[in-house]
Amino acid sequence: MNSDRIRGDRAENLEQSIAAYELALQVYTREAFPEDWARTQNNLGIAYRNRIRGDRAENLEQSIAAYELSLQVRTREAFPEDWAETQNNLGIAHNHRIQGDRAENLEQSIAVYELALQVCTREAFPEDWAGLQNNLGNAYSDRIQGDRAENLEQSIAAYELALQVRTREAFPADWAMTQNNLGTAYSDRIRGDRAENLEQSIAAYELALQVRTREAFPADWAMTQNNLGTAYSDRIRGDRAENLEQSIAAYELALQVRTREAFPEKWAGTQNNLGSAYSGRIRGDRAENLEQSIAAYELALQVRTREAFPEQWAMTQNNLGNAYSDRIRGDRAENLEQSIAAYELALQVRTREAFPEDWAMSQGNLAAVLMQRASLTESDTDLETAIALLKAALDVAAPNSPNFINSQYRLGIALSRRYEHSQNSSDLEQALQAYKIALDAISPEHYDRKQIWQALPTTQSILGSRLVREGKWQEGLQLLLNSVRQLSTGDDPLAHANALFQTGRAHETLSDWDNARLYYRDALRLYDHLKNELGIAKSRAGLGSVLVSQGYLEKGLAELDKARESYHQLQQPDKAAEVDIIYQAAQRAMERQTTEAYV
Amino acid sequence: MTTADDIFDQSSSNIQRLGLKEIPFTESPIDLRSETLQRIFTGRQNELRQMFNLFQSRERRRILVYGRLGIGKSAFLLEVLSVLRRKRPKMLTTYISLPANLDLATTALIAVARAMPDDNWAQSQLYQMGIPTEQALKERSTKASANMVFGAELSEKDLPITKPQYPTVSLETLLERAQEKYPEGVVIAIDDLDKQNPSVVRQLMHDAQGMLKGRAWFLLTGHPMGMTGDLLTSERGLFDLQLKLEELDLPTTYQMLINYLSSARINNNCTDPKDPRCVLPFLPETAKRFCEVSLGKPRLFNRLGNTVLSTAADLQAKVITPDVLEQGLRAAALTLHQQAALTVQEERVRVLLLQRGTLSDDTITMDDLEQIGFRSFSDAYLILERLEEADLAHQLNQDAAKAFAPIPLPPSDDEFLSLGGS
Ligand SMILES: Nc1ncnc2c1ncn2[C@@H]1O[C@H](COP(=O)(O)OP(=O)(O)OP(=O)(O)O)[C@@H](O)[C@H]1O
Ligand SMILES: [Mg+2]
Repeated sequence: MNSDRIRGDRAENLEQSIAAYELALQVYTREAFPEDWARTQNNLGIAYRNRIRGDRAENLEQSIAAYELSLQVRTREAFPEDWAETQNNLGIAHNHRIQGDRAENLEQSIAVYELALQVCTREAFPEDWAGLQNNLGNAYSDRIQGDRAENLEQSIAAYELALQVRTREAFPADWAMTQNNLGTAYSDRIRGDRAENLEQSIAAYELALQVRTREAFPADWAMTQNNLGTAYSDRIRGDRAENLEQSIAAYELALQVRTREAFPEKWAGTQNNLGSAYSGRIRGDRAENLEQSIAAYELALQVRTREAFPEQWAMTQNNLGNAYSDRIRGDRAENLEQSIAAYELALQVRTREAFPEDWAMSQGNLAAVLMQRASLTESDTDLETAIALLKAALDVAAPNSPNFINSQYRLGIALSRRYEHSQNSSDLEQALQAYKIALDAISPEHYDRKQIWQALPTTQSILGSRLVREGKWQEGLQLLLNSVRQLSTGDDPLAHANALFQTGRAHETLSDWDNARLYYRDALRLYDHLKNELGIAKSRAGLGSVLVSQGYLEKGLAELDKARESYHQLQQPDKAAEVDIIYQAAQRAMERQTTEAYV
Repeated sequence: MTTADDIFDQSSSNIQRLGLKEIPFTESPIDLRSETLQRIFTGRQNELRQMFNLFQSRERRRILVYGRLGIGKSAFLLEVLSVLRRKRPKMLTTYISLPANLDLATTALIAVARAMPDDNWAQSQLYQMGIPTEQALKERSTKASANMVFGAELSEKDLPITKPQYPTVSLETLLERAQEKYPEGVVIAIDDLDKQNPSVVRQLMHDAQGMLKGRAWFLLTGHPMGMTGDLLTSERGLFDLQLKLEELDLPTTYQMLINYLSSARINNNCTDPKDPRCVLPFLPETAKRFCEVSLGKPRLFNRLGNTVLSTAADLQAKVITPDVLEQGLRAAALTLHQQAALTVQEERVRVLLLQRGTLSDDTITMDDLEQIGFRSFSDAYLILERLEEADLAHQLNQDAAKAFAPIPLPPSDDEFLSLGGS
């Protein structure tokens, strides 16, 4: 709660505490008053850990040093309870430590907590035990070594243990803190059903907010609101448009407390999140939403400067690049320039050596916007550069990762554009090859579903239809509808038609005939407009079978007949035979109806 | 000089000139007293029969009443409840419109608790949720100290309802208590299930399965818009009866007009369709034409009726001649359009609909879609539904297609303008 006070005050108070403890240490010497000395060392450690002035890394070193001195007196044998308390503090300091190897520091924290838990048993010291479990949960959720999925399970388990003691009735503030942490762990969780994990995460945040009210704990309230915003923007269940509204609302609440003056870093972080939510927003005017998004990113960059926070700066530059490349208002050519400039800035920090995954992502984005500029200006060099960038990105991207799939797919587009000019058949072959690799790699089992909403709309529609077929229809349908929405304003009508078809098929799988019919007809109309014969055939086949299922036999037969004919012309006898089976069945049903009418 | 009082008198004498005490048409049935509803409620015999057949058994049932916007779901529900109240005095009947952000169990709990003002436990449940209770109001006048507390409670109108921690269990407990006083059972009618978005409704239904199978009768209403349609398929087993309300046929609509008018007429209260006086101030021919444009949709009927009668009163007419009716309908077209406050996008779709006469997923062309800035009918569909909600379009009962047509009102002047502009 201290952090809620105005920063200036708090900084000053901490300076005074440090001075006071240091004075005390001169009086209570280790030799004369060992216990007091040790307690003061412990408190000095806490004050250094919280210190605002001075270099943060150095303060944490001081803090660790003080705890270690304290532990020389507070031994496990002589003062088990004090020993555990200081061990806990030491663990926290290791967890936040900046100097030294981060992975190693986290190992240290975990070791320290586990040591402390041997003395602080649940029976003897339930509160301390629960606090240690909470901190252990934090350390596991940040852990770098070991299997990440397993670490997150450990983290969740520790939080849940903590909550057995930290009940809402007995320790409301601690309970809320651990609920918040649990929410974060669930939203990062790898095992289990992703959609379900996000629901758990939202539920935990909402519980936390019951105690962390704006009045009582403004800073904590704002933190949990920010987390809730992120969970909603990742949410899979529910209506995507609605989830994004919830996400924006939560971020805006957080910003009421996280003002630029009081919490500049956090303010910038939430502004960045708000920018992303606006750029994906479905409700409202798209042009206006993108303006909002750009404005939020630009605010974030006022604090996230390259000097102070290079990684965050690069992330927001990358996001700004995305927003400019989609921007509707303003001059198109100028927007593309802005977008290119932003990606190039991001890539100055996101180098191939230091951050290979991020590098590949920004590299792919840059390629995509260069391709846009190429079609605007008919520039060959831009297209060539884009192809080169994508190939380089593919060298680094982990096979089958979202980045890898995006880059393959974009490479397919770039090469087929080049083929339009060059008429070089190897371009076409390579393009098809790239599409095929992308397509084969999109599978629900290994696709990193955390990044599902960032995927290209085509990827979303393919994933969506596979998920529906596997029975995960809520998740699948949301993805499909989202991709349809995105493609409906894009410049790739064929991809739009495909997504409409997949959506029709998903509804058919769910026996939602009315919607299936609606989407098949939409797909058919668009395929027809594009003169895509295969598309026409398959949407007629789908439409026909839906009509038959609804009992509109005559209309259904007419569509099936045309579909069968098209498949024959396309030399796809297998498909024609499949359609024929349905046709024959419908035909028999109709004959039965007419005979029954005469009986 | 005319004072405001004079103008008031003028208005009421204009209505009286038409032979009416007041304009009987209303947007919603909630404002009606139950005797009034009983007088004007018309038709739906089949649906009532199906519903009441179920009530002849002891088995508790779950019933879904569904149909398009303004088709008369709430009125039907209220009519059913008022009949039950008369015929089954030992049955507790409750009604509530589903509030935003609330689960079905809490909603049901509120409905039942409100209907049991003498039950302390029920009232304390409401009190904990920050909902003003009748008891609190009563205590106000007697106890000064309680006055303060409840006064503060009541002034906090926007206080969000704090859901009980275990609403299903609380509801069970409450129903047990209710059963003692109402041995014939408890009916919980939850209206407007669909005023929330479809995925929320789906989740609500899913979460409420246990409760719905519990110890009360449930009557729910919704319209099968958007994805609510697939709710009907996915939760099919949940309901013992799904009643679809459709448009009323022409003779029933005519009878409905008679019932509304006779409930407000000053002199005669004739309800015999063969007697031409029964539709006064309409003439039989204008009454018939009025029913035709209402398309058998009760809300449209009420909205149009309202404007037609106001227009006739303004014109100081004694009867509604074809000319007066035409002016009234023209005014109604204008009012509906203005009240809808359409966006540019929606306006474009409306204009296209007027140009084409019908739009359907079966026959719309790519050129039509391009004209409204779309590539697929599914995008336009959302807008057409929005027009339907504003009574600027209606869905046709076409086989195997989703088709919309404009409401056949005479074009008002501003409609000519927007047509010319495109
Ligand atoms: N059978 C009927 N007889 C007479 N009046 C009716 C009848 N059905 C509906 N009405 C009247 O028509 C109007 C609209 O009906 P109602 O509000 O019940 O429709 P609804 O289907 O519940 O609409 P919504 O979808 O907006 O909830 C109301 O004024 C109601 O009183
Ligand atoms: Mg209603």
